[in-house]
Amino acid sequence: MQKLMLVICAVAGLATYATLAISAEDLAAAVKERRHLMKDIVGPAAKLGNQMVKGDVPFDAVKAAKAMNDINGVPDKYVTLFPKGTEKGAVPDSAAKPAIWEDFDKFKATAAKLKDASAKAAGAAAQGKDAFTVAFSDMTKVCKECHESFREKEEK
Amino acid sequence: MRRALLALLALVLAGAILFYVLTVPVTLPASALPAHTPDLANGEYMFTAGGCAECHAAPAKKCDDKKTQDKTVLAGGRCLKTPYGVFHVPNISPDKETGIGNWTTLDFVTAIKRGVAPDGEHLYPAFPYPSYQRMTYEDLIDLKAYLDTLPAVKNEVPEHEIRFPFNIRRALGLWQKLYVDGKGFTADPKASAELNRGAYLVQGPGHCGECHSPRNLLGGIIASEAFAGARNPEGKGRIPNITPSDDGIGDWSKADIVDLLETGNLPDGDVVGGTMAAVQDNMAKLTDEDRKAIAAYLKALPPLPDAVPKPEKTKDEDEKHTAPAGEGGNGEQEHDTPE
Repeated sequence: MQKLMLVICAVAGLATYATLAISAEDLAAAVKERRHLMKDIVGPAAKLGNQMVKGDVPFDAVKAAKAMNDINGVPDKYVTLFPKGTEKGAVPDSAAKPAIWEDFDKFKATAAKLKDASAKAAGAAAQGKDAFTVAFSDMTKVCKECHESFREKEEK
Repeated sequence: MRRALLALLALVLAGAILFYVLTVPVTLPASALPAHTPDLANGEYMFTAGGCAECHAAPAKKCDDKKTQDKTVLAGGRCLKTPYGVFHVPNISPDKETGIGNWTTLDFVTAIKRGVAPDGEHLYPAFPYPSYQRMTYEDLIDLKAYLDTLPAVKNEVPEHEIRFPFNIRRALGLWQKLYVDGKGFTADPKASAELNRGAYLVQGPGHCGECHSPRNLLGGIIASEAFAGARNPEGKGRIPNITPSDDGIGDWSKADIVDLLETGNLPDGDVVGGTMAAVQDNMAKLTDEDRKAIAAYLKALPPLPDAVPKPEKTKDEDEKHTAPAGEGGNGEQEHDTPE
């Protein structure tokens, strides 16, 4: 009987370990992927939107909508890339504040706001530059809100 | 032997007297204040431009929380962790016991223009009076009148915890001899009204140089390298160079600067973060003319290379990024980071 208990415990323990254990490589890959999404997709799209709003680049409804749709595709995936143990300091290049895990629902809610705001900005592009300018500015407020609460970047 | 001892004693005494004389707090005479009817709206504007709340408003939760409870509740209590020790930001609400409710306008202006409290105590320049001293008397009178309208909060803030020798407040008198003259902003008669307004906002209330300019060993700003970037005074990393050079904002247009100040958006698609996020919130509340004036002034600064070189690590990373890919590696490409 005792032996059986031991075996059960061992098996249960092993199973727990297997589900919980995320290797260091997985953590690094998660950080790399989220940086990729921000640096290569969101960043350039936001840059283009900003340039159109400022008039540095002529406003183009199709390109503006595409850029906003690019951003729209990110948040759902993005929030899945924050396994515990990927805060700043734990993994190189991470800029994630521990606040993310203290209130993960809030973090997810802010990401959902980005999805919503980017969809609105994409829709506003068809209505012309003025409408796009307002919607774009509403969206970047979400960027700022999220970064202020959840990103700890070293000032460079 | 006895003579030598006497001579030494005399020298020490002379030194002590000299220290005493040189560190006597400099105060302002009542006659320094012009006759001026306070303009509360301008006082509030200066409060915003000066970012008073970012230090003096009670922090949200922990004492080093960047967020504040309410920008008009200036109960103090924020802690600033610096290489000199921990500063506990004072209560400047109009509470008579624990705030500055008993200060006269002259007391207030003296604190800002000379870094001296009403009891004659020297104030630490963590309070950025080396910048604020450039503000006009009128703006300061307005600011004091505005502060008087804010809620009085009883909150005793702990004493600063500063290391030796920086804990000798009296010695700050010497430092002030070097960096504080109480002179107001001097407009450049050859520059436009816009440039002068920008210079005033940046050098005076905005106190931009307190973070963006490098400091010498004494903690004084190196004037010849003003705005060329600096070490982060509150932690790791660097504060960016904001002169119009390749290292700084040479490739930013004035519109880029105005946009950053108004919306927080950076030209590269990122948004402003860290301490600057709170500063930007204030800049967004200024008039568009003032943001344009700040941009015009920054673009007219002498272009300077970074005062603090980029860390070696970043250089290595850059090399890694620009190295030809695909030479027997795993085929995975590095992502190009636009930093």
